Amino acid sequence: MLTTSRQRVAVASVSLILGVLVVAQLHGQVVSGGLAAQSAQDLTLLIANLNTQNEELRGEVAGLERQLSSLTEARSRGQSASGQLSADLTRIQAWSGTRVVTGPGIAVRLSGDIDGQGVEDFLNELHNAGSEAVAIEGVRLVPGVVVAGRIGELSVENQALGTSFEIRAIGSPEILTGSLTRAGGIIAQLAAVYPGLAFSVTPLDVIEIPATTRDLSPIHGRPTL
Amino acid sequence: MDRLRSIPSWQVTLSVALLVLGFLIAAQISSEGPRIRYTTQERAPLVDTVLGLQKQQDALKAQILDIRTQFGALEGQLPASAAQEKEMNAELEKARIGAGLVQLSGSGLVFRLEDADVGAGAPVADGLVTARDVRILVQELWIAGAEAISVNNERVAAPTAILDIGNSILVNSAYLAPPYEIRAIGSRDLYGALTSAASFIEFVQDRVGPSGLRLSFAELDDVTIPAYAGSVTVRFMRATEPAVP
Repeated sequence: MLTTSRQRVAVASVSLILGVLVVAQLHGQVVSGGLAAQSAQDLTLLIANLNTQNEELRGEVAGLERQLSSLTEARSRGQSASGQLSADLTRIQAWSGTRVVTGPGIAVRLSGDIDGQGVEDFLNELHNAGSEAVAIEGVRLVPGVVVAGRIGELSVENQALGTSFEIRAIGSPEILTGSLTRAGGIIAQLAAVYPGLAFSVTPLDVIEIPATTRDLSPIHGRPTL
Repeated sequence: MDRLRSIPSWQVTLSVALLVLGFLIAAQISSEGPRIRYTTQERAPLVDTVLGLQKQQDALKAQILDIRTQFGALEGQLPASAAQEKEMNAELEKARIGAGLVQLSGSGLVFRLEDADVGAGAPVADGLVTARDVRILVQELWIAGAEAISVNNERVAAPTAILDIGNSILVNSAYLAPPYEIRAIGSRDLYGALTSAASFIEFVQDRVGPSGLRLSFAELDDVTIPAYAGSVTVRFMRATEPAVP
């Protein structure tokens, strides 16, 4: 048994430290979920990204609430809501790639040796920069469409791409051009990996992006509303 | 034996406690590599801000999904005479499913992609899963015929970008920490199609193996892929023609 107060204090101190360490360990692993690994710079970038995204989501919630209220009102009055349904349908089809769309954007010509993964990296950056619709040599990018192949054997949707091809993207021409061409941006990164690869980026007031020829309806997946 | 008996019990208690303490300190230190390299206290408010914003984002996404569900219910409440509206509703539902705005379930695969074990032999930086690794796996699944994919519950949709952020990744602007779980719905032959593709074999042989990344999978009869919960609002593009049949 602990006979003196000194002994009791020693055991109590060790127990206290033990408790603090257990809590710190659990907190670090469960609550921050890996955030503790990020540098202050990365965390700041993450905060900026989350703020922008949350702002967009708030806008989406506000828009959806307005539409819901208008639809509820139409229903309660026994009125037709076909105008709103039609607008929703058009918006979703344009967003998902089943409608031809137009708008400002950029045309990028890639000439030289690059493999499918390099092109996919470029397309990923276009999405990140805010492009709303993208096509590569007239093939609309939708989930499931992948540019694949080794250097000199590139293809998309069974269509050979050759060594010079064009990518078109709708979005803010200034933001898209700036994101791609900035120092250390994707063009600089790809140029370092694929010597001889040339890019030409042209901002345009109006471009047209075709609809996908794919049927996006799932065959194996069942909707679970 | 006599000597053991002579050790006071408080000393035994203290020794055990110190042993546990030592173990915990060692565990704490070893858990700080390779992803944890920064230990300054000034980052704590930043981490708290990120957690707060991520919580807000989750709530906003849940709200969006809830409103979309209410839409579906309201659109179904039509008088029998509204044939045109019913037809439009059916088209709208089909468009939402095709766009990834509806949760899907079906046969498929679940992959788990994790960092290499510390001390696996490969350079530490190579042993971390990157956004490119996740993108490659997603692309290979598309090529193999997957019809819906998610990464840690983020649906891969038309505008999805998968990016590196420090040593973790962003998908649909949501912060995802490893391990990464990639789910895909497809035919019963999805795994066969995936593993027979030269590009997938190359990824496993040239990247996963040498770096010590841990890639495991399960074939399941029922995989659930959540709906895309982000914004579908567009600012720049306008639709010009009717949809393809």
